[in-house]
Amino acid sequence: MYKAHHAWLFLAIPGILLLIFTVIPTVAALFLSFTNYNVFSPVGWVGLANYKQLIHDSNFWSAMKNTLTYWVLVTPALSILSIFLAVLVNRKMKGVSVYRLIYYFPVLVSVVVTAMLWKWMFQEDGIMNYLLSIFNIAPAKWLTSKSMVMPSLAIVTIWQGLGYYMLFYLAGLQSISEELYEAADLEGAGFWKKQFYITFPLLRPVIFFVVVVSTMSAFKEFTMMLTMTKGGPIGSSKTVVYMIYEKAFEQLDMGYASAISFALFLIILVLTLINQKFLDKDNQA
Amino acid sequence: MSNKNEKEFSVKRATRVNIGYHILLILIALIMVVPFIWTLSTSLKGQNEAVFSFPPQFIPGHPTFGNYAVVWNTLPIGRFLINSLILAVFGVALPVVLCSMAAFPLARMNFRGKNFVFMIIMGTMMIPGEVTMIPVYLIINKLGLMGNYAGIILPAAVPAMSIFLMRQGLLGIPKEMEESAIIDGAKVWQIFLHIMLPMVKPTLATMSILNFIGAWNNFLWPLLVLEDPNTYPLTLGLYKLQGTFVANTRMIAAGAIIALVPILAVFIFFQKYFIAAAYSSVIKG
Repeated sequence: MYKAHHAWLFLAIPGILLLIFTVIPTVAALFLSFTNYNVFSPVGWVGLANYKQLIHDSNFWSAMKNTLTYWVLVTPALSILSIFLAVLVNRKMKGVSVYRLIYYFPVLVSVVVTAMLWKWMFQEDGIMNYLLSIFNIAPAKWLTSKSMVMPSLAIVTIWQGLGYYMLFYLAGLQSISEELYEAADLEGAGFWKKQFYITFPLLRPVIFFVVVVSTMSAFKEFTMMLTMTKGGPIGSSKTVVYMIYEKAFEQLDMGYASAISFALFLIILVLTLINQKFLDKDNQA
Repeated sequence: MSNKNEKEFSVKRATRVNIGYHILLILIALIMVVPFIWTLSTSLKGQNEAVFSFPPQFIPGHPTFGNYAVVWNTLPIGRFLINSLILAVFGVALPVVLCSMAAFPLARMNFRGKNFVFMIIMGTMMIPGEVTMIPVYLIINKLGLMGNYAGIILPAAVPAMSIFLMRQGLLGIPKEMEESAIIDGAKVWQIFLHIMLPMVKPTLATMSILNFIGAWNNFLWPLLVLEDPNTYPLTLGLYKLQGTFVANTRMIAAGAIIALVPILAVFIFFQKYFIAAAYSSVIKG
């Protein structure tokens, strides 16, 4: 009934756009990473030179360290805290959907507005320091000290992301049969026992999904640093993608920037595979 | 012990638990909304009122819309809003048209090369946008799209994720639907428009919401592509605005609220689709 040319007619325009803006750029990025392209002079093949430079580039390793710090601060917190949030709002109760909406709303706020809001929260005489003062703790230099900047940015990310991952878990929770919890109640299991023996094991595929998604986004984050700290103080919040952005669009060193982006891609790929090994054992059998 | 007593006891216990429960939920909700409330109150404060204070002043002493008037009159905020709207309309409409066109043959037809095409599209989902960022920028430049909305809209016009969602939706339609249409002499594009698309309205809604969030909050590509401040969307306009009003937090806060209202309105209006959109990305994982 359908002929082959029908298929290609429908595929033509989207296919061409996909080719121009995704497929070709992927190949081109790999190609560029072996060149010294800098916009002004013609493309020159340099082989593995960019990658060799990368290994000895202390800026790259410090950006990598910052990225890993950010990841370690953000991904476990997002993966675990949002389970509890989901358990909390999974009750059949009047008004519970209002809480879900409130928890989810920060997800929709653009990075620029989020940056404004939280820069004010972190001000010297802002709300965060006021909270500390209630407990008689000296004011912190949230965004201006080298050791505090990454944890502060992580707080913002967690605040913004909890609602997003909460919904994933909520979808997972709603597929767990009510009877399991009822049976556990009869056995006299408390709240924590039920979470450890029923919720967590059955949510395992969702946990895997959340860990992978939040890992990917942690490794790709840089607009938050660009808008909140400009990578500072003294480069201590400069992530790998921030460095790619700077190299490519401020210093126009596109060849080297492409090499960094491919290195990053490989790292994300490896991390995803490791995650898969640890968290997705059931699915491999 | 009578059954009645036992019931009363458990009802009492349940209400007590419920109150504690609500307190916990409200506390978390407060954490989520405090930055917004603070910004709203700051935007309503007069010039003589302190913005930062211990304890924070959440209710302005003399509320005024003066800051909004100043921001609205001195900055092209109205222009920014319209620009954001234009970008969002295209950012939603193009993927709806193009991704359903691409998904239709992939879901309903058999043709040579189908698996190959599908594999490539799924493969591009694995490639982070940060990897292709540099070549895409160079291609936009080569096509003469710098400073042009097409440079922002076209690269995001065919999200692989949306093709995937549409294909899933279309796969679920029973074969009989199109067979009877063909017997009635319907053309292929008629089957697509009048039979296929009406059956996948929920998927279209989901897709539109996901792409709306992406387009409305897009910051990186406007930053890279646009030059003329009159063409800035809200995100980029606000980012640059921070530079002009550094000293006046009240006015930046007013600008932030102006940027938040449309997304809040859309969210409240379409809340059930937002939740569905999040759920459908779980099913993918």
